Amino acid sequence: MEHSISRRTLVGTGLAALMAGRARAQPVFRFGLTPVFLDNDAAVIDGLRHALSSGMGREIELVQRRTYQEITGLLLERSVDAAWLCGYPYLQHADLLDLVAVPVWRGSPRYQSYLIVGTEDRAESLTDLQGGTHAFSDPDSNSGYLVTATDLRRMGEQVEGFFSRSIFTFGHRNVVRAVADGLMRSGSVDGYVWEALEVIEPGLTARTRVIARSEWLGFPPVCARRDSLASDPVQALQTALMSLAETEEGRQALRSLQLDGFRQATPALFDGIADRMRDMDP
Amino acid sequence: MNWFAPIPLSIKLPLLVAAMMVLVGTVASQQVLRSLAQVQDARIQELARMHVEGLSVALGPLVLRHDIWEVYDTLDRATQGGEGRRMVLTAVADERGRVLAATDPKRVPVDSDIASLAGDAVALDELKVDGASPVLSLLAPLTYQGRNVGQIASELDVADLLLERRQALLLLIVSNTIAIGLLSMAGFLAIRKMLQPVTTLARQMTETNGEPHPIPTSEIPQGDGELARLARTYNSMVGAVAAKAEAERRLAERERFVALGRLSSSLAHEINNPLGGLLNATDTIRSYPDRAEVVRQSTDLIDRGLRHLRDVTRATLDQNRIATKTRELTPDDFEDIKLLIQSEVSRQELDLEWSVDPVAVTEYNVPAGPVRQIALNLLLNACAAAGQTGRVGLTARSREGSLTLQITNTGSGMPEAALDRLLGDGPLSFGGGVGLRLVRELARNLGGAISHSHENSVTRVTVSLPTSWEASYAQE
Repeated sequence: MEHSISRRTLVGTGLAALMAGRARAQPVFRFGLTPVFLDNDAAVIDGLRHALSSGMGREIELVQRRTYQEITGLLLERSVDAAWLCGYPYLQHADLLDLVAVPVWRGSPRYQSYLIVGTEDRAESLTDLQGGTHAFSDPDSNSGYLVTATDLRRMGEQVEGFFSRSIFTFGHRNVVRAVADGLMRSGSVDGYVWEALEVIEPGLTARTRVIARSEWLGFPPVCARRDSLASDPVQALQTALMSLAETEEGRQALRSLQLDGFRQATPALFDGIADRMRDMDP
Repeated sequence: MNWFAPIPLSIKLPLLVAAMMVLVGTVASQQVLRSLAQVQDARIQELARMHVEGLSVALGPLVLRHDIWEVYDTLDRATQGGEGRRMVLTAVADERGRVLAATDPKRVPVDSDIASLAGDAVALDELKVDGASPVLSLLAPLTYQGRNVGQIASELDVADLLLERRQALLLLIVSNTIAIGLLSMAGFLAIRKMLQPVTTLARQMTETNGEPHPIPTSEIPQGDGELARLARTYNSMVGAVAAKAEAERRLAERERFVALGRLSSSLAHEINNPLGGLLNATDTIRSYPDRAEVVRQSTDLIDRGLRHLRDVTRATLDQNRIATKTRELTPDDFEDIKLLIQSEVSRQELDLEWSVDPVAVTEYNVPAGPVRQIALNLLLNACAAAGQTGRVGLTARSREGSLTLQITNTGSGMPEAALDRLLGDGPLSFGGGVGLRLVRELARNLGGAISHSHENSVTRVTVSLPTSWEASYAQE
């Protein structure tokens, strides 16, 4: 597989070079990425950048930060033109942000949050994890924080009191590592990331066990500022995302991301997250 | 070390040389191992210091923020490096000793007390590969921006260093054993070769049945070294000893003749005294051949006189003849001795006390010759010491399982030189006879003992003689 990716990456690099020649006059499009997906794989990131650059006809700079908050902040202050956020920060700033596109995973623009423990752990539900340690992904992550926090709230519990200690690893893969290595007893992780890891790092996920899955919720969307949604670069991005499946380079990028494609969506897709956010209100 | 004393010098010295080489080899090996241990300790301390300093730089801000995940992630990535093979476990705690993360979280959970891990841990400068355990525990402060913000506990796998040390030890043992073995053997042979003349000298001195023999010229080392001079000096001494022994033998022989001379003188008196009477008797017979009573009395007188002369002659002959015979002692031997000294006693008008227990004399089966010689020599000395009108005595009786001869005389005691000859084995002083030394040697050959006392102007020499078979047993 690595060999295949490398070959295709080379092809993609060549195409990108051609496109770059054509797009040299265009300003660089800055695209923010949260650690929502496999951001540790340089080949995946590079493939996505080349595919989008080809599709948009302009050079793309992928901007990565450690936390969701940083990327959201960059988007709000216009330091990036668009960003792949999570449904939770999108809804937090729904007045300023709008949806550009939503990934389609396994035929649907939805995903789940997984509650995982080590394979040797006998816990069967969130209740069994009381008093243990817990790994969250990011305080602004839906699957990596909000879901478990709202589940606890619905049980009449607080994160701080229910777990003896909880940490943020700022990466879904890190949550899986923390639980697999025994650093934390349990973790809240993006179900899409866990499933993707099971394909590319089965040795890692094999040391964890999913004990609870949330309801299906809106997949982390690509957002832009509402006031720039109609701008050419953002429209070009939207077009490029929708058309990824039409080019070999795009399909390669989608395969690397284990996604089916992108499509447009309405805010109603994130109602489930909105419900949970309401439950979190004091 | 008593067991070491009987070992011959020719074995002892080479063994000592070999032992010294073993000792030197052992000390040298010990030094090599100590140096290796020091190098390993320095190496492990340097490695641990780099480990701690590297982690302090990387983890300082993370520990300050109590960022458990980042601390763990950093430790985990550090473990993937080459250093990770040495550091089998690293745990980082905050300033209160509460574990933030460890490379093996299952063994050292988050929030556990680092003291439970670092129970036998030592500080960085005290880290030593001591051989007791293949894993060393280290506890060091985590310093960031000049202050202690936490602690780092590490376990270092030093099994490879211990293996290296064991291999070095094995190599040293094998190589040193071979080298020392060869050197020891060479040293052993060289020293043995060098001591060969000493061995020869010792053999010549000890294996010659009491009579030293010179070292053959062929066995004397070449040149003029110490050993060659020693051998030549020894040969000279052997010659001197032989000459001295010969001189003593001649002196003893002469002493016997001196005694005989004195006896002869007494004998002349003994013969001369009755001769006058005998000649008178023959004159009487010639003058009164017809007077039967006178002739008979004169003939009886002549007969007694001649018999006396015969007895004196026989005793004298026996005294000179018996020495080499092995006839056992009888009371008659004492009668002979009494007869032999009678003239001396008479000449000096001595008072003779004579007490011989015939049962005791025959009971011990001692040879007659040496006992006669002993008694005669001592009595002649006693007569000479007693002076005119003195008192001389001989007692022969059984006492405490021995035949005891006691010769007494009045007068002044024996001079020191005479006592030395009678009671000691030292060299004979210049002048004086060897009669008393002869007595001592004869008594010793019979397994007997001599004692001397001088009380109330009476000198008493006592010779105790065991039975002949006891004497043989004692001599063996």
